[in-house]
Amino acid sequence: MTPAATPHAIVVDAVSVERNGVRVLESVTTTVDAHRVAVIGANGSGKSTFARLLNGLITPSSGSVRVAGLDPARQARKVRELVAFLFTNPESQIIMPTVAEDVAFSLRGSGLPREEVSRRVIGILSDYGLDGLADRSAHELSGGQKQLLALCSGLVREPQILVADEPTTLLDAANTRRVSDALVALPQRLVVVTHDLVLAARCDTALLFDRGRLIAQGDPAEVVARYEREFC
Amino acid sequence: MVGALSLYAPGTSPLHRLPASTKLLGLLIGGLVVTVPRPDALLLGIAAAGVVALYLVARLGLAELGRQIWGVRWIIAVVLVGQLIFLPWHVAALTSTRMLLAILLAALVTLTTRASDILEAIERGLAPLRRFGLRTERIALVLGMAIRAVPIVIDLASEVRDAQRARGVGGSITAMVVLLLVGALRHADDVADALAARGMDDDEEPVMLEGSVRPRGASRLRLRR
Ligand SMILES: Nc1ncnc2c1ncn2[C@@H]1O[C@H](COP(=O)(O)OP(=O)(O)O)[C@@H](O)[C@H]1O
Ligand SMILES: [Mg+2]
Repeated sequence: MTPAATPHAIVVDAVSVERNGVRVLESVTTTVDAHRVAVIGANGSGKSTFARLLNGLITPSSGSVRVAGLDPARQARKVRELVAFLFTNPESQIIMPTVAEDVAFSLRGSGLPREEVSRRVIGILSDYGLDGLADRSAHELSGGQKQLLALCSGLVREPQILVADEPTTLLDAANTRRVSDALVALPQRLVVVTHDLVLAARCDTALLFDRGRLIAQGDPAEVVARYEREFC
Repeated sequence: MVGALSLYAPGTSPLHRLPASTKLLGLLIGGLVVTVPRPDALLLGIAAAGVVALYLVARLGLAELGRQIWGVRWIIAVVLVGQLIFLPWHVAALTSTRMLLAILLAALVTLTTRASDILEAIERGLAPLRRFGLRTERIALVLGMAIRAVPIVIDLASEVRDAQRARGVGGSITAMVVLLLVGALRHADDVADALAARGMDDDEEPVMLEGSVRPRGASRLRLRR
């Protein structure tokens, strides 16, 4: 598929990023138009930096990023409507005190009537088995439930793309499984940074980073094999 | 007290069904009644009976009332001891009692009202201030985030304390404060990222310096136009 053929393709062209004078991404060029994309690599290899480029949380020092034709550095607001982001620690991305309130928070300023907001909130919560917890304090949820809540709060805005930065790193095996299953089943494009090579293998393509460079892209089984061979 | 802030106990009692604005107004009046007049045993006795009755009406039960009192025992103890130094014991007891009653009333409101309803009521109450350029919806948002942050910071504090104990260096207040501050600032940074990612940034497009990290969300969350 050519980038033009997929409306929500991510095109990264010769992007370098410097932070505090250190080069953390070095001339990365890639087009992402697979449905599920895994991003793997050692700690500090630049995965999070790459992920944050996609919704304008970090801007390139040089080169350009296009998400569905938009520039995240200059059109951050529009891009963030298109791209939801799931962070590693759900604790810091749940903003409101209770479960339903946090999901509803994502629809603030959407102009939707109250009933429609609660309909969507309950709808997405029941999709992920959290509807029974709607009025619970977010603080009382388990780690896996918190991460699913964070996912609901992102998805309720009906984004086209979900970027997740190590979404299962803090979870136990059962919750890792639960969150991974949810991610892999998404109809949206998924870009997931992960150390979970099982999750990576369930994606359609994988990117391998090493010291700020993109060194491999392609079939997840092959890319994971190379990662294990060279870095484990 | 702090725990109560994040605790809504779902229910269908008359108190649960009362509009949040009414309850907040009631809290204001009730709080003034118990705290402003000179401490008086009869008045406080009546107020205490009223508080107990309200907990029963809210179908929270005496156990919940006990839990709330237990939750603030240290705060009350500190207040009581502090006063005993300067005041006769019965005055100190009355003053501490009225503080406890005010806290119990506040807890009653948070136990029977969803945080979002409280925030909405506050937002509406502040609406006249919009004329002066105040972004009342932002103020409500910040209050909501503060409520959410309380249990997180408490967890952080006990984590830091446990870590100190585990290394056998319990009791360093300075180390505790520094670690807590670092943890809280890191948390604030993460929340700022999450806010921006969830589209809750300022209305204008952020001004970006080439190669810079996005201006942090929290510091850009302006409360005035
Ligand atoms: N705010 C920052 N300032 C300077 N360097 C940073 C900053 N954040 C990350 N880095 C550095 O950038 C490099 C890549 O980081 P990151 O993208 O977080 O890697 P990964 O997610 O693969 O572990 C690391 O060497 C890290 O030390
Ligand atoms: Mg990372």
